[in-house]
Amino acid sequence: MLFNSLTFVVFFAVVVTLYWSLRSWPVRKNLLVLASYVFYGAWNPPFAVLLFSTTAMDFWLGHQIGKAEDQRARRRWLVASVCMNLSMLGFFKYGNFLLENFQWLVGRIGIVYQPPHLDILLPVGISFYTFHSLSYTLDIYRGVLQPTKSLRDFILAVSFFPQLVAGPIVRAGDFLPQLVHPPRLKGNQFLWGLALMTVGLFEKVVLADTLLSGPADRIFGYGGPLVALDSWAGVLAFAGQIFFDFAGYSLCAIGAALTLGFHLKDNFRFPYAAIGFSDFWRRWHISLSTFLRDYLYIPLGGNQVRPFRAALNLIIVMFLGGLWHGAAWTFVVWGLLHGSYLVIERVCRVCFEDKPWASAPSVRVLAWFATYVAVCIAWVFFRANDFTVATRMLGGMFGGHAHGDAILSTRELLQIGAVTAGVITMHWAMRENTFETAVMRMPPWAITAIGAVMACAIIFTQGNSNAFIYFQF
Amino acid sequence: MRSSISSFKKRLRLPRLFFRTPSLEEQIHGGPPLEFERPIPPAPWRGVAVVVTIIAVAATAAWELYCRSLGYGPTLNDNEDLWVMARRKVQPDSIVITGDSRAWFDLDLGEMEAGLGKRPIQLAMAGSTAWPVLADLAKDENFHGTVICSFVPHLFFAPPGSPPMERAEKGIKRLHNQTPAQRVSEYLTMPLEEHVAFLKPDDLSLEGLLNELPIPNRPGALVSPHFPPYFQTEDRERRARMWDKCAEPGSELAKKIQQIWLPLFKPPPPPTYIPKEVFAAEIGKGIKKRFADVQSAVETIRSRGGKIVFLRLPHSGGLKELEDHDTPRARTWDPLLKSTGAPGIYYSDFPELAGFDCPEWSHLSAGDSVEFTRRLMPHLRTVLGM
Repeated sequence: MLFNSLTFVVFFAVVVTLYWSLRSWPVRKNLLVLASYVFYGAWNPPFAVLLFSTTAMDFWLGHQIGKAEDQRARRRWLVASVCMNLSMLGFFKYGNFLLENFQWLVGRIGIVYQPPHLDILLPVGISFYTFHSLSYTLDIYRGVLQPTKSLRDFILAVSFFPQLVAGPIVRAGDFLPQLVHPPRLKGNQFLWGLALMTVGLFEKVVLADTLLSGPADRIFGYGGPLVALDSWAGVLAFAGQIFFDFAGYSLCAIGAALTLGFHLKDNFRFPYAAIGFSDFWRRWHISLSTFLRDYLYIPLGGNQVRPFRAALNLIIVMFLGGLWHGAAWTFVVWGLLHGSYLVIERVCRVCFEDKPWASAPSVRVLAWFATYVAVCIAWVFFRANDFTVATRMLGGMFGGHAHGDAILSTRELLQIGAVTAGVITMHWAMRENTFETAVMRMPPWAITAIGAVMACAIIFTQGNSNAFIYFQF
Repeated sequence: MRSSISSFKKRLRLPRLFFRTPSLEEQIHGGPPLEFERPIPPAPWRGVAVVVTIIAVAATAAWELYCRSLGYGPTLNDNEDLWVMARRKVQPDSIVITGDSRAWFDLDLGEMEAGLGKRPIQLAMAGSTAWPVLADLAKDENFHGTVICSFVPHLFFAPPGSPPMERAEKGIKRLHNQTPAQRVSEYLTMPLEEHVAFLKPDDLSLEGLLNELPIPNRPGALVSPHFPPYFQTEDRERRARMWDKCAEPGSELAKKIQQIWLPLFKPPPPPTYIPKEVFAAEIGKGIKKRFADVQSAVETIRSRGGKIVFLRLPHSGGLKELEDHDTPRARTWDPLLKSTGAPGIYYSDFPELAGFDCPEWSHLSAGDSVEFTRRLMPHLRTVLGM
């Protein structure tokens, strides 16, 4: 069920009405569990069984870790949980990828092996709910979370429908405490939740789908060489599309949760105003970057090790972060590029941080520009279906196809230019702020005008029902 | 004795993920769980909500009235979910209409029911090729009914990856992968579309309106030609009827659409990055393959007791000249019937079918489509042996 569909509007209205009209907190939680499973089953009902199985297993394993007194036993149960979750993810998401690569590898040594193509359907949002669930056993093992006694509460923490299929990745430790006491219906909070959903839908339906997705798809789907203008326009269009698509989904999720009285943390913080790559990752898909930081980077030693090892840690984390996004080497390259960017940035910091010119405004602007361009170059690998497309795109961007084709209309170029300029300006303006503080500074008439324009634009766009990009991850 | 875990750790050199206590930094971030509350910006939210709702409702109503004043009326939009709804109605012995928009506009289901004794199911799709649907019906082992397939050479031989092919494949893909949510969404959307005139994604959506902006393109830019604006209504059986405004004699809308068809029916220029002779050879190979594939699908359907008939439906004016020139009957229609051995009805072979005029050169008006279908029925009965 997509947020940008009529089905969701009806579903959400029914759930919210029932939820706030029920008095008993356990009954309300049961309703949310039921609603979450209906929401998930609306894609493919059998996958709801898979979701329940992994959740129930982690609930049980969490208990085992919690009650084990012996450290070795705790480790054993944790390894079981990690293996269970990752093997599930591995089978559904990486099964064919692994087989294909194995085929290629044995082919290099002259063995002809034809693996069966596994006709595996990827359960929507498996990467997200696996991480929701895994955070529970990891935190219990680390001693920062007590196992919950309620299976129902844990099921709800993993499957809560606003964040179930495309994040933010909400850790059980952040969500379970909110299930202890029933939230009270607060008018302003409810309406602010609806406002966030409106902004999120506007980002998704109007900016990502209507203004940017068409040109981006055509550029990346074109079979021939393109001139530099069209190549860059396609990449900028995708850079905008993926931000508005994913940030829009996250805002909808945060808003929907808020209308039900739950508080989810920000997932984006104006990333295209980032100066440097560590700054970028503090602003982009924050729930994933903090997950990788806390459960992978820091346990690897983080930056408390020798510089070479710290650099390697960054590369490893970003490699896995790339692979998390999809079973393709293009995602791996995207991750490795970001890892390399982070390493280069760290080296630059060590060398130049103390220089007086390092904090000059012009240097900051230059650093921002370099960050944005490098992020866009990495997006080429993220979006391209294969390396042939990626290479062709990079060739076009850097003037390799002077006699390439021009396939975008002037109107599309203007659209891409306007949205890109708009998003960069907006991110710079809000760089040091939160969305809430920006709204707080606006007069009520401006909030009303912006809200009305967004609501009308969503209606007039007629709910283009493109799926969210991150559903496939 | 060494524990299996520690040797596991040593052998794989696993990170300290499983084997160390969390640092202070981690404890601050990950737990113990902190109460987190999102800030709510202070604003008169109730007032804002009321005013936004009033503006949105008023603007929507005004837009609806404006669209109606332009002549737009409520009608269903043709999309994959509506097509799937029709496809699911196909029974083993159904009569099925496949192909392009000519079959969609020109064949009246009521007249066909009266003429053939069974109400057909409309599976033709605008701007699509018939092949993927034929292939799907051939694959459906239960199907042994009758297929009435419209033939427009330019669409019928559309290569893989082309828009006509993609449109048809989208429908088939949706048939096999439709989620319960998509199914419910179509049931919820239909009543809305039947009552609201501005719900026309191709014409009256933000994207449709932006498409209409008269901004000149760069010289040499390979920009796709425009598609015709809204000029038909559609009901739940997917019966399309030409909008009266288009069917009026001398209609400006019809003239506009005529000029849109011409570039759409011309073969696209060969890609600049493939040598012309290679491209021509690829196209020739693709057409040969399509003949062979269709022949095989027809044989499969017939082997189960099914029937198939091809129809060449009326077209006129400059479009007819273009089609006759680029895709002459001798190179397209005749070999198709010969290779498949299936019967066919070419409208211009029969005086009673040849006298219809298509207002926008490609489709019959709603009134003419009823009369045309009535006149077609005896011929159809004959070729189907009914």
